[in-house]
Amino acid sequence: MKTILGIAVFLLTSMLPIYAQRGNTQAPTSPVTGSAANGKALYYSYSCYACHGYNGETGRAFVGNWSANLANEENFIRFLRGRANVAPLTPSTSMPNFAENTLSDKQAKDIYAYIRTFKNAQPDLKNILLLNQIVEDASKPSTR
Amino acid sequence: MAKKNGSLNRRGFLKGAAAGAAASAASLVTNTSPAEAQRGGNAAAPVPAPTQEQIARDAGVVRPPATVRAVQRPGSDLMVQVLKDMGLEYVAGNPGSSFEGLQESFINYGNPPNRMPEFITALHEESAVTMAHGYAKAEGKPMIALLHGTIGVQHAAMSIYQAYYDRTPVLMITGRDEGFIQAHTAHDMSAMVRSFTKWDAQPRTLEESLTALQHAYNEAITPPMGPTLVVLDTEFQKEEARELKVPAYRPPQIAGIDAGKAKEIAEALLDAQNPRTEVRRLRTPQGVKLSVELAELVGASTGTGATTGPMSFPQRHPLCGPGASTAYDYTLGLEIPAAQASIIGPGLATLLARDTANVGFGGIVPVAGGRGARGGAGATNAAAIQADAEASLPLLIEEVKRQLTADKRRVIEERKAKHAEANRKARIEAITQAVETKRNGWDSSPVATARIYAELWPLIKNEDWCLASPSGFSGGHHVQLWDHNKPYSYLGGQGAGGMGYGAPASVGAALAAKSRNRIVINIQTDGDLNYAPGVLWTAVHHKLPMLTIMHNNRAWHQELMFVEYMCGVRGRGTDRGHIGTSLRDPFIDYAKMAAGYGMASEGPISDPSKLAAAFKRGLDSVKRGEPYLIDVITQPR
Ligand SMILES: Cc1ncc(C[n+]2csc(CCOP(=O)(O)OP(=O)(O)O)c2C)c(N)n1
Ligand SMILES: [Mg+2]
Repeated sequence: MKTILGIAVFLLTSMLPIYAQRGNTQAPTSPVTGSAANGKALYYSYSCYACHGYNGETGRAFVGNWSANLANEENFIRFLRGRANVAPLTPSTSMPNFAENTLSDKQAKDIYAYIRTFKNAQPDLKNILLLNQIVEDASKPSTR
Repeated sequence: MAKKNGSLNRRGFLKGAAAGAAASAASLVTNTSPAEAQRGGNAAAPVPAPTQEQIARDAGVVRPPATVRAVQRPGSDLMVQVLKDMGLEYVAGNPGSSFEGLQESFINYGNPPNRMPEFITALHEESAVTMAHGYAKAEGKPMIALLHGTIGVQHAAMSIYQAYYDRTPVLMITGRDEGFIQAHTAHDMSAMVRSFTKWDAQPRTLEESLTALQHAYNEAITPPMGPTLVVLDTEFQKEEARELKVPAYRPPQIAGIDAGKAKEIAEALLDAQNPRTEVRRLRTPQGVKLSVELAELVGASTGTGATTGPMSFPQRHPLCGPGASTAYDYTLGLEIPAAQASIIGPGLATLLARDTANVGFGGIVPVAGGRGARGGAGATNAAAIQADAEASLPLLIEEVKRQLTADKRRVIEERKAKHAEANRKARIEAITQAVETKRNGWDSSPVATARIYAELWPLIKNEDWCLASPSGFSGGHHVQLWDHNKPYSYLGGQGAGGMGYGAPASVGAALAAKSRNRIVINIQTDGDLNYAPGVLWTAVHHKLPMLTIMHNNRAWHQELMFVEYMCGVRGRGTDRGHIGTSLRDPFIDYAKMAAGYGMASEGPISDPSKLAAAFKRGLDSVKRGEPYLIDVITQPR
């Protein structure tokens, strides 16, 4: 059963379309005190990219969908510390807990500084011909 | 063993030859004491000195008499004839002395030789079985996987389990030679995989071997479908068949619903104001055709499983979708539970008695409170009729036709037109919503997985294509962006979640595609490919129409996320989560890997604007019969 659950979990988690709750489309403007350069290395070595993409635009994306947890450094740190640390033991792709002894406030601020450099780079839908063509095709009978 | 006719002599000879080979090998190893050589060998038994004859065979200098064939009509020719008669297209394997007789017949018997079945060179037994798994999912019928005695079967084990769990037919053959290499034989060869093999036999005569092959084929394609295994002794492969006749093949009778039930369901479908059919995975393309015929006859809006797996209702058929109203008053499920009636074939639980090792595979053994799984227990709700849906359709269609009146036809035609319009609108609405999220990270580098699917679609939409690799880890974006209109449009998940599946399953699907003017798309995760990448060579060697696009996130990413989460739960930091979960230091160069196997390739590409041109080059190559690999560095998810 464990195996099956495992399979179900990883199939499901990988199939789920990733919609974060609707956040703010505008990036926060609160002060940033950390080092984005350090943050870049930490974003990679702590595997933040694993779920949020290298640019914060894919997977559990947050760019263009800024939640209150990312509004400022304090919120971000509180969020990292407050993640579930007593959690279901089944494999999960939900956000891990980051205790202070494993990621200092300073490191968290560096990561925050790096995240804040992320820009919403995706084009407007009207400028993506490929996707528009697919929508257009839907009104016609299928070609094959 | 019933028939030995002279084979004892040969067996004695071979036994000696094996020992002789061991002895001469030992003496060839310099710097190794005889005692050490012994330890590396089999047992501590004394090794008899080889005879001149044995040494000669080992060195390959014995010539058979020039004019006289040793055997006029080898048993293995008859075995191959039996396989031909059943229409088997391919046999995948790599060589093993336990079936050298059979292999010789595969490549030399028949006119032309090596056709139906054609020998496909597989570099790993796991690949051979998974090729057959992919082929069967695309075509709805088995091909053969040829496995060396004992060790080949062991190599194949996970893929056998996966095909079993996926209820996919595969005909497996293994050889058994009591005389040659002791380590490669077994009293009961199938025992090690019996718990997850649908049927097996170890025949005692040549004649029995022939009927066992037919029986195994029929068992494989009878629901619940699954892999079956025949153990063929070398002596029957090699014996003189004399006048022995090849038994005529009779296909299995697969039970559908009875006439009474067919009448009842037909009546209900025709009486309903808003009937619906829900179609999931049928057995063969013929079943899909019949499901379309039924829906059209009764004017039912239809739900499909075509975006999640093979052999289901065409997604862009005008009747496919929610229809003009979702207030359905009669829903018939075909291989899926539904409100009023469902016809569902037997699940793997009906085979539980074969779990001889008492493994208790999850999802097959019913577990209280457990979720249904693919291997599922078959019919699950009270209204379900346990019968194969596909086999039930002809009778059901006949009944519907018999009961149809001109009045009903008119109402049905009107309803169909309304459904078609409603489904068209629903499709536009769904796709309009979907593209909003598909543009996430559109220009980002590394490449967003949605962009791969979006860029590929216009290049294949007018082709006859098959997406053979599981798409869950690469975002499954085809589900929303592509149209799945063929029984083989998307072949679905691994079956039992076993990695090492995408490439070999795609090669199998490409075997099916080759003679059918079809192309196969393999969106290949990196971790999965590395289990047995030798299939790339197989694709090149056999000129298979397969385009591989790497979803190269340089990790077993799914597991990286799990381990990272675990690190968090235990409060020990995620900075070592990459250990044992990532494929870095060094990064693997897949274009070079493919090139090493002789496959045309390019990459790594991490700039999304370069994808379209690369995909086009890849498809041009594939259409020429030259498989192609494009390494794309991707966002992890
Ligand atoms: C035979 C086997 N071994 C291990 C696993 C555990 N497992 C599940 S997902 C996964 C990672 C797959 O990596 P990859 O194919 O690269 O896909 P990604 O998650 O990176 O997109 C592994 C190793 C498995 N399912 N099957
Ligand atoms: Mg990977």
